[in-house]
Amino acid sequence: MHHVPSPQLRRLADEPLAVPDRALRHLSGCGRCQAEADEIAADVALAARTLGTPCDIGDVDLEWAMLQERLHEAGPVGSRAGGRLPRRLGRVSVSTGTVAAAAVVALGAGAAAALTTIYAPTHVAPVRVDQSDLQAVENITGLEPSQLAAGLPPSGSRSLAFGRLTWTTAGHARQVGSIARASALTHLAWSAPDALPPGVGPAGSAAIAPQVTATVSFSHSAGPGIAGSTLQITAGPAVVVQYGSTSANASPVTMAIAVMQRPVASSSGATASELEQFLRSRGGLPAGLAHELRLLGDPATTLPVPVLPGMTQQQLTIGGTPAVLVTAPSGVASAVIWESKDGTVHAVGGLLDKKDVLGVARQIG
Amino acid sequence: MGISFVTRPGPRPPQASLSGFERFFREQYPAVVRIAFGVTRDAHMAQDVAQDVFVSVLRRFPGPADTDRARAWVRVAAAHVALNMIRGERRRERREQLSGTEMAGTGPEEMVVDRESQAEVRQALSRLPRRAAAVLVLRHSGLSYAEVAEAMNVKVGQVGTMLRRAESALRKELQNASRT
Repeated sequence: MHHVPSPQLRRLADEPLAVPDRALRHLSGCGRCQAEADEIAADVALAARTLGTPCDIGDVDLEWAMLQERLHEAGPVGSRAGGRLPRRLGRVSVSTGTVAAAAVVALGAGAAAALTTIYAPTHVAPVRVDQSDLQAVENITGLEPSQLAAGLPPSGSRSLAFGRLTWTTAGHARQVGSIARASALTHLAWSAPDALPPGVGPAGSAAIAPQVTATVSFSHSAGPGIAGSTLQITAGPAVVVQYGSTSANASPVTMAIAVMQRPVASSSGATASELEQFLRSRGGLPAGLAHELRLLGDPATTLPVPVLPGMTQQQLTIGGTPAVLVTAPSGVASAVIWESKDGTVHAVGGLLDKKDVLGVARQIG
Repeated sequence: MGISFVTRPGPRPPQASLSGFERFFREQYPAVVRIAFGVTRDAHMAQDVAQDVFVSVLRRFPGPADTDRARAWVRVAAAHVALNMIRGERRRERREQLSGTEMAGTGPEEMVVDRESQAEVRQALSRLPRRAAAVLVLRHSGLSYAEVAEAMNVKVGQVGTMLRRAESALRKELQNASRT
């Protein structure tokens, strides 16, 4: 046969099974082809040595977050980030993008006009609750607290007695590699305490929870003023950092610090007062809980901190804003919660006495 | 009460719940970075190239029906964008700021030697014909002949020819660089 073509000799180096047997037979008896095969093998080895360096692909989660950030900044199709597109396609995209941008602005303005913020807490306040209160909330809303505590699916919907609840999450709750990454992914500023209480080890893990948007669409059965309106609540995102122990025998988690964006509620149609009246009209709200809620003052600006039976609570200030300190019956665990002036809710808690918890809170508050 | 207010994140949801583009990104990102790294010899620059490529692919292939074409496109685009790479310092600083870490793990002397040899490779690649440089980095990033052919829009049988010429040209460029 003729000499083995160079491409086949090249492929022999990578995928020998793809080379025909007759070419291999010729190669074994042909000095010229063997010489070329050796030269090719040397070139392949040189290219592999030169180009085959292992690559650190980085943190895919971080890169995805950066890409989303960039797409958000770049705006619709046809903006500067798409500048490498062919000129003809670019012109089409600019036109499409202009229409899309105009539509987004128009829809956004419409939505802003339709949705009125009715709840944007500026401070925290304690609310004493007991098991019967939790049961009453379950009866009124149809949502079991245990379901909420266990975590809802990333998105979904369910029927309520007075309408429909739908919810979506902007991503996935997960552990991340560092506090800096958690902060970058959630856009939440993070302040680490300079000094940790005795027995508390260094930060062991950081986790993020995405922003959750829940929408209640009230049905006609909800009654006048409420029927047909929509209540939208956003909560999060949040960062939770857990701290370990300096002792091998102690609990692996001794303290946690959480930061989250304050919850905000908006309504289309129904006012805060109408919604409050609606909830009262549903019946079943225990008198004690109703009294506690009345003591909050302006419910539209207060974030209630539930205080369970047996716990003691104390109201104080952290960084000049109201805070609620909650302590377990035996004093073995404490937590303090406050909302800073920028609308971020902070919590420090753990298997610590209240002095240690407050010491940490005052470092970061 | 312990620290009951701390909610541990649940298990990662199944892939089916991811958006189509996020799934595409997560599947293709490693290959795109490896290809870009083949040209840039710098992880930060390669990650910047990947960002540019995924921004562009979303605009070029907005529909899920184009996944196969989009996959081939991001791979060859990674090679070409990397070859065009002249920017990236701005986002490198941003990445280091966000991650809070220095990514280089070698000592100072090794880094100097490494940077010099990596610069030689970059220069050699930049002097090759664009398609030759592209086929080299695609193949040596780990793509099969079939995947290289798909990305370069050629028949599988042509890949061997292109590789042979490209590797020979690379050797000559590296030899020239070492003489000077």
